[in-house]
Amino acid sequence: MQIAVSGGKGGTGKSTIAINLAIALKEYFDLVLADLDVEAPNDHILLNVELQNEEPVHMFMPHFDYSKCIKCKKCAEICEENAIITMKDGTPFLIPTLCSGCRGCEIVCPVPEAILERQKTMGHTYLTNTVYGFPLITGKLLEGEERAMPIVVAAKERAQKLKKELLLVDTAAGTSNTVSKALENSKLLIAVTEPTPLGLHDLELILKLADLMGIETWIVLNRSSLGNREGVQKVAKEYGVKIVAEIPYSENIIHSYIEGKPIVLSENKEAEVFKELAKKVAEYVG
Amino acid sequence: MQIAIASGKGGVGKSSVTASLVYLLKDTYKLIAIDADADAPNLDLLFNVEKWEEEKELTGAKIAKINTETCIQCGICAERCPYDCINFIDGDYVVNELTCEGCGVCRLVCPVKGVITLEEVRSGIIRKTTTKYNFPLISAQLDVGRPNSGKLVTEEKEWAKKIMKEQNLEHMIVDSAAGIGCQVIASLGGADAVILIAEPTPASLSDVKRVYKVVQHFREPAYLIINKADLNPGFRRLHEFAEEEDIPIIGEIPYDRAVPKSMTMLQPVNEAFPQSKASKALKEIAKIVEEEILR
Ligand code: SF4
Ligand code: SF4
Repeated sequence: MQIAVSGGKGGTGKSTIAINLAIALKEYFDLVLADLDVEAPNDHILLNVELQNEEPVHMFMPHFDYSKCIKCKKCAEICEENAIITMKDGTPFLIPTLCSGCRGCEIVCPVPEAILERQKTMGHTYLTNTVYGFPLITGKLLEGEERAMPIVVAAKERAQKLKKELLLVDTAAGTSNTVSKALENSKLLIAVTEPTPLGLHDLELILKLADLMGIETWIVLNRSSLGNREGVQKVAKEYGVKIVAEIPYSENIIHSYIEGKPIVLSENKEAEVFKELAKKVAEYVG
Repeated sequence: MQIAIASGKGGVGKSSVTASLVYLLKDTYKLIAIDADADAPNLDLLFNVEKWEEEKELTGAKIAKINTETCIQCGICAERCPYDCINFIDGDYVVNELTCEGCGVCRLVCPVKGVITLEEVRSGIIRKTTTKYNFPLISAQLDVGRPNSGKLVTEEKEWAKKIMKEQNLEHMIVDSAAGIGCQVIASLGGADAVILIAEPTPASLSDVKRVYKVVQHFREPAYLIINKADLNPGFRRLHEFAEEEDIPIIGEIPYDRAVPKSMTMLQPVNEAFPQSKASKALKEIAKIVEEEILR
């Protein structure tokens, strides 16, 4: 079973909530946490662990064997990314940065082995053991690479392969298709937001996405003492979702964040919020 | 001149710093601001934009569609989709429109001609307005579930260049997208200088290091602003990073509750609370930006 933590813009406290919830959920489930914010993965930093067990994520890139290529231009014609340009005489050339690795060119090429496989590394996935009793899977896009999707897919698969009772997914910010990919198959989405106009705007977008995907959604209101709660309540009502937890603005949380010591393990009263949230989640997903 | 402001991830105050810098520079320089974070744009909120003067829909993104009437249900498409976006639901193969990347492989491998088509869909909208401060702002909003695209950002910049010509503007300030993917690459491409913003936490350090690697690809000069600097005074690793990479630190902004407050008021902090600690630091930074970057 899978649940997800997502939210609007970065900085709303999504990762903080994901790691604390994971620790609290350990009481109830044998679980794995997957950090699918592959452009800026931070869960390992908040959990204070070094990434381990690196595996590269390769992508297919065509490599032309010019001794076999008949210069028919078919590969260039079908490439959706326009990653293949052809010379006047039809000789194809690849622009590697545009290629998405879809293998379309290989599929249409009429000559066996005119297109060979070359691989490029797009990023990595990691399987890290934490001291909290659950493993962390991390996807990390290489700097300079543009496509996050293959990394999200690879990291999610690696997490699924562990076959834990519960897969807790921490997504990237926003509502692009890599976020939908991360959310796919979740039984529950915890949407993290702040009671500010900016938070509200982003919240609406994620609720829209969850609605389209048919995922039950709960709102966790972070820094609830900061701004206008009515706004969030109104949006929640509109989308028929409930606010299940409120976390007041807290220096304790900021310090635990800075020190890399998850707040849920502390004596602070804020720890209770996460424990209760975990209990609710456990009751809901069974 | 084109200046990009980036942080590697949202949440470290990039937009509030950008809003204040633009606010402070707008009277001396003729500039245009671009919000390149199409996934979660917010400069318009911070500049209190109420309506857009002009909007353009951006199409070009494609998604696959399977004609269930003619589909022979061989399942090859689902097997070959590189991103696992085709599912067998209620007796039909269906493309998940919220995850499809539009690569077209399903169409190529499908044995029956014409069953699978690629259809153009809207990927988002770009829009332009003149803010109440009199400088133009361009912003974009990605539609829910569309691939995050550098294209949207490139379109925004093209439009900005046109406006710059028409209105005789000198500078383009780009509030770059979060992350390090295509949208960020498009945000940084062509910039004359990059201002990095980070806060003194290990997570923010990791993010800013990653975006700096992208900056290095472009060989653009970079500067660093440390936000919420006094929150974690023992943390020196941002300074060490700046020193190692030879990135000038052009300012440190103390943590100040005036900043979140000004954001709920939908104003740059320098407008809402000009006497606050943060505003004073930002004023100093604006001065350095004038002297070092805009010259
Ligand atoms: S499709 Fe194959 S044979 Fe035709 S131009 Fe491309 S590589 Fe050469
Ligand atoms: S793998 Fe796909 S994107 Fe890359 S060159 Fe071939 S058709 Fe184009």
